[in-house]
Amino acid sequence: MAIKPRVPVREQPVEQRIHNFDSVPYGYNEEEAMAEAQRCIQCPDPPTCEAGCPVRIKIKDMNRLIAEGKFKEAYLLVKKAHAFPACTGRVCPQEDQCEGACILTKVGQPINIGKLEAFVADWAREHGVEEEGITEEREEKVAIIGSGPAGLACAADLRKFGFKVTIFETLHKPGGVLVYGIPNFRLPKEIVEYEINKLIEMGVEIKLNITIGQNISFEELKRDYDAIFLGTGAGAPQFMGIEGEKLNGVYSANEFLIRANLMKAYLFPEWDTPISVGKRVGVIGAGNVAMDAARTALRLGAEEVYIIYRRKMEYSPARNEEIEHAREEGIIFKELVNPVRFIGDENGWVKGVELIKMELGEKDSSGRPRPVPIKGSEFVMELDTVIEALGTVPNRLFLSRTPGLKTDRKGVIQVDDNLMTSIEGVFGGGDAISGAATVIKALGEGRRAAEAIKEYIDSKKKK
Amino acid sequence: MAHKITRKMDLNSEDFYVEVEAPLVAERFRAGNFVVLITVPHGERIPMSIMKAEDGKISMFIKKLGKTSWELYKSLDQFEHVIGPMGKPIDVKKYGRVVVASDLVCGHAENYALCKALKEAGNYVISFQTFPTAEEVYPEEVLARPVCDEYHLTTEDGSKGEEGHYLDILEEMLESGEKIDIIFAGGSLPNLKELGDLTKDYNIPTIVTVRQIMVDASGMCGACRVFVDGEMQLACIDGPMFDAHKIDWDAALRRPMMYVEQEKIAYERCKKLGRC
Repeated sequence: MAIKPRVPVREQPVEQRIHNFDSVPYGYNEEEAMAEAQRCIQCPDPPTCEAGCPVRIKIKDMNRLIAEGKFKEAYLLVKKAHAFPACTGRVCPQEDQCEGACILTKVGQPINIGKLEAFVADWAREHGVEEEGITEEREEKVAIIGSGPAGLACAADLRKFGFKVTIFETLHKPGGVLVYGIPNFRLPKEIVEYEINKLIEMGVEIKLNITIGQNISFEELKRDYDAIFLGTGAGAPQFMGIEGEKLNGVYSANEFLIRANLMKAYLFPEWDTPISVGKRVGVIGAGNVAMDAARTALRLGAEEVYIIYRRKMEYSPARNEEIEHAREEGIIFKELVNPVRFIGDENGWVKGVELIKMELGEKDSSGRPRPVPIKGSEFVMELDTVIEALGTVPNRLFLSRTPGLKTDRKGVIQVDDNLMTSIEGVFGGGDAISGAATVIKALGEGRRAAEAIKEYIDSKKKK
Repeated sequence: MAHKITRKMDLNSEDFYVEVEAPLVAERFRAGNFVVLITVPHGERIPMSIMKAEDGKISMFIKKLGKTSWELYKSLDQFEHVIGPMGKPIDVKKYGRVVVASDLVCGHAENYALCKALKEAGNYVISFQTFPTAEEVYPEEVLARPVCDEYHLTTEDGSKGEEGHYLDILEEMLESGEKIDIIFAGGSLPNLKELGDLTKDYNIPTIVTVRQIMVDASGMCGACRVFVDGEMQLACIDGPMFDAHKIDWDAALRRPMMYVEQEKIAYERCKKLGRC
């Protein structure tokens, strides 16, 4: 049987999009979505795609409903699995999850499940589809720390259970990594705002500019709420710890992206926050954050942007779509090199990086070949901006002021099978309990924690 | 969410005083903390020192430097956000004879707050506030005189108070063998570096405010990284006050210069719009 190729996704032309921060994919329209969904061969149960989904979306049924033009039904079905399909449709690593598990990969291209998921969510937003409301109001109060994906997902479900839910957020805008981290060209901010406004309409209270442990103590929170969910994320940057990191012009990807996304530095001087981008920009690392930083630098006017990666791109943890988009936009991939030190000019600004060539050795704990430096292969590359995208760790501000909370060496919060931390009634989810993972995993854990919190409060009530 | 400005006044031709409603910050403020301001909806996040926190309001000293501060001075009667208290408070306890010194706008604000807290903890507090000339000296009501035990107003040209910078007078004090148990200081970074060099010889613990550029000011971006004893620390959550004897001063002095060009652009634009 010949399998039709994927329905292509219309995108902003390269020469246009490298000058703006608007969404790169336009997404499917109704006809395109139906045609793509009709490619689904409706495998016998259990379909492999669903097993590949961390939150077990009923993908096969979603595809069938879309194929039949029943978009509202498809949307409500997806929403049963998790709260923010418009976001995950755009940011999940589908090739490692649902699409990677799609049976069609054996004979051709898998169903474009990500774009179909985003389509139903966008369709529902444009058509004002309402979901089921709150079944019964309850007296108990739950505090959620952090308004990123885990916290939002947990809040949505707890509110549906009828609890009074308050989210505390350190920053002046809610959304966590969806707002400060992921650029608009990948996840338009109006989508995140829409989803958050839905939660507020449901009755979720969001208190901004509050850092628990800093301006409200954790003890106070414990006293005032029946349960607490920690969705504090992994927001602190890691640096290489090499010579020259103190130079001006050396950024963490976190800072670079917070300036660009949260503070809208790309609209400077209409917006007040500045950002400094030179002509030759080097991004250290090759994950999604590195791609985001590189493409942001390009849009901010850099002439040449390099991804500097110690392995080969085939081992990059970034989504295929991001690597493809970056390549199309002219990002240059420097593989098998690693920075040894950054070099500064007489004014203390970075002017280059000394790199050492690497070769791939035995497999390491990540299952990828370990990069090994080649002795004597050092060389200098001129750069005037460096962005280190080396991954993140949990923020120690919250941890240092929360006594009794068990973490590992890196500050990752330890939880039991019910996502309860070492403190009774305090639960956790998302990057705060896993280091740094995916949005969908955080959404799934937020949801599981909501269930666990409900059970915890119910069982306490019985006593 | 906006915070109403309840008082604004000139301190001298460059600096001004702002008092704003911020009950949560005022209630929790401790000496050493700072606040993050967002003046307008499109504004940047600016860390600012606090002079005092009373009756649900906080008071700050601000220098008219660039777009944000000029616009605030000229055109605003409220802040979009006042966030805090941020940062680590100092360890307020009985040290004995304590010096608190400052020579610039934010340092002067901290001077008042530090003196007040340290005096309440039973210390003998000696405050130094240095201004260039008599003309720049702030109005008496905001100086640290009433909250310390021994007050030294100094001007560099000697036109008011004692003549010289606090560094000179302190050096004389130390040479004469006067006993000082600890020094807290804020203001000009090069002078804080010099202070550290001076007190190191006398082995006097010296804790200084290392003002750095911040973005989120909650440990997320690393913009305010300061190298202390070879270790990377973040001024926003580990500071902003650090041991002057252990700071990598070259890096700390350089980093605040990162956006000088952009600051000019923003200010010129604001001026054209008639808001600065």
